[in-house]
Parts: sequence; structure tokens; C-alpha cells
Amino acid sequence: MNIRLDPRTKLYMILVVSAVVMMSATTPLLWAVRIIITLVPILLLIAEKRYASAFRFFALYITALVLTFCFLSEESTGIIKSLLTGYCGIIAQFLPAMITAWYVIRTTKIDEFVSAMQKMHIPDGLTISLAVVMRFFPTIKEEYQSIRDAMKMRGITLGGGSIVKMIEYRMIPLLFSCVSIGDELSAAAITKGLGGKVKRTSVAVLRLSAADIILLSGFTAAAAVFVIFKYFI
Amino acid sequence: MADKKEKTIEKKKLGVKDFITVGIFTAIIFVVEFACGMLGYIHPYIVASYVVMIPLVGAVPMMLFYTKVEKFGMITIMSVLIAIIMFVTGMGYLGAPLIILAGVIADLIARSGGYKSFKKTVLSNGVFNLWICANYFPVIITADSYRKDLIDAGYSAEYCDSLFAFVNYKTIAVLFIACFACGCLGALIGKAAVKKHFEKAGIV
Repeated sequence: MNIRLDPRTKLYMILVVSAVVMMSATTPLLWAVRIIITLVPILLLIAEKRYASAFRFFALYITALVLTFCFLSEESTGIIKSLLTGYCGIIAQFLPAMITAWYVIRTTKIDEFVSAMQKMHIPDGLTISLAVVMRFFPTIKEEYQSIRDAMKMRGITLGGGSIVKMIEYRMIPLLFSCVSIGDELSAAAITKGLGGKVKRTSVAVLRLSAADIILLSGFTAAAAVFVIFKYFI
Repeated sequence: MADKKEKTIEKKKLGVKDFITVGIFTAIIFVVEFACGMLGYIHPYIVASYVVMIPLVGAVPMMLFYTKVEKFGMITIMSVLIAIIMFVTGMGYLGAPLIILAGVIADLIARSGGYKSFKKTVLSNGVFNLWICANYFPVIITADSYRKDLIDAGYSAEYCDSLFAFVNYKTIAVLFIACFACGCLGALIGKAAVKKHFEKAGIV
């Protein structure tokens, strides 16, 4: 199965998910809406054959939900429970938005993203910067992993116990590689004609497909149900 | 005079390279913020200490960023991006005006020093770091309903009580000042780190 979504649909998904996540769910129905809109990006990840990350997110989310509902309540005290509350809270609260963002970052090609933003008449400056941010999170992770490996190889684990050194040993090499990657990126971007005065054309043709329309209306309906049942009933 | 100034600014329009620099440093700052934010879930007191942690840790990338800023707009765009990312990651939109305002003012301060004056850069970094206080906005403005929201979302009452003991409309002024002070202090540390590592290597 191969679903190719329009980047605009994906952005709309992020918008709806983070808006719904911000409003707290109080009744079972609201929780149901929330869980359903969390499951959609997970299903989309499966459709993209990213089984491992889909499973990881699913397991995390379900564990957090079960723990929150069955074991934790307003009265929970004590260090373990308050730690658990913290972790389950962060997962149940932020994971839906993070799954969606992860899905979008992993499956949107930068050229598609840029041309979608252009179609929505977003200023070039914002588009380019946002595209770089999107592309950069995985890069930072990779770079950080290689820094950690290099430190391990030399037997430096925690920077000798000093917090300042711990941060310095990781931050400085990371910044070095990010700066050089940035230079390469700008060269690449100029080659691709970004920032020129002429309007760019794009190889990626963006058209709303049936899947896009189903998702757009589905998410709109979910958001509407959530708001109506939370504030008006 | 003013006309002339405007002309020179217009000449210095932002290019692709600047946008990319902004993007990269925003990503790094956000990673710092996210790493510190994770710690906040251990105990609410750590939430209050964001104002110390994030400016100090984020200072090194910020100061490196300031060495690359030469035109008006870069810091502003960065603040807009941070506001967008904060929204996307579920932190809410209440803080967005503060974030962007801090960005614009920081940009103006840095511009008045021609993006070269060290004193102005320190001040500008201090102001820019006020965006961290936007994290607290939902806590303060909507205190009662936010507390209920947190409890509904599965937080314990204990967590909420200690959070609100530390972050409320009385302490926000202190948090703002602490944020600004740590931003300035961080700028000094960051400058030293940039000098130690990057100027020697010839990157800046």
C-alpha cells in the first residue's frame, strides 16, 4: 500500500493534532477522539513500511495510557509515583504531536515541502528556515551519535563528572559539524536556485488526492467534535 | 539621515545563506530546550530552573549565531520559528506574542550596535532569552483551569501544587529577571567558549 499525501494535508494534520492535544481531554468521548487522531499517523507510518517506529510509538502510547488510567490519579504521591506521573504525563500529552511531526519529517521530501509552502504564499525566508529546521533534527541526532561513539572509543564517558565539561564535550563538536553542514547546505541550496528573484518551478506536482480529502475532512471533523463536546455540551 | 539608513538596510537583504544559518541554529536551540524540558518532568522545581539552565546551555550556540548575524531580521525569524515549533510540539500559542516580541526587541538592540558591539550583543541575548518565560504563560494566565487540565491529564495533585508554588503571577517577575540575568551571563560564557574553540579554529 502506498499513500502519497500532499504536504499541505500533513501540515494540517500537525495543526489539528497539536491543537487537540493542547485542550485537555476530560470525558471518555474526548479521549476516544484523541486516541483516534493519534492512531492515524501510526497507521500512516505502517503504510509507509516504517514498522519499527510505528510499533515503538504505539507501544509507548498504550503503556502510558494504561498506566495513567489504571494506576495514577490525583492522590498519587511518593517519589516513584510522581516520577511515573511525569513520564506518563509527557508521553500521553506530547506523543501524539510528536508522532505526527515525526511522520511528516520522515516522509516529506524537502522539495515537496518548499513547493507546498510556495503555493500557500508563505514568505521565502520562513520556508527555507523551516525546511532547514525540519531536515536538521535527524542530522543533529546522527552527528550526536557519532560524537558519542568517538568519545566512547577514547574512554570519555561523562566528562570526568563535571557538568560543564559534559556539556562542552558534546556541544562544541556538534556545533562544529553543524556549521560545516550549514555551509554545504547553502551551496546546495544556491545550486538549486533558492532565493533567486525568479519564481521557482518544481518537479513535484502537488495535487490533492482522494486520500488527502478523506484525511482533511476526517481531521476537521475530529477537531470539531472535540471542541463542541468540550466547550458546548 | 533616516532615509540613508533605510537604504543601507535595504541593500543588506537577507540571502539564502542567512536563512539556512537561522534554521540550523534554531534547530540546535530547540534541541537544548527540549533536553532541558525533559528534565522538567522529573520535578516541578526544575521547571522553574529552566530560566537558568536554558540560557546557560544555549549560550554557546547563541553566541556562535550572533557572530554570523549581520543583517536585521535573522533574530526575528528565529523567534518566529521558535514560536511555530513551540506550537507544533504542543506547548500552546499563548506565549507566541512574547516570543516574537522578545525576538524583535533583541534584534533591534543588536542592530543598534551594528551586530558587532559586544555589550549590545550581551544585552540582546538577555532579551532574546525572555522567550523561555513563554513556557510559563499557560501556567500563569490560566492558572486555575490549567491546574485542572494537568490533573485531568494524569498529573498528581502534588506535582501541580509544587509547580504552582514556584510559578505564579507573583514570581513571574523574578523569573523574568532571572532569565534576563542568565541570558547576559550566558552570553559572557558563550563568548568565552566561542573564543576558545571557534576563533582558534578559524571558523568564525
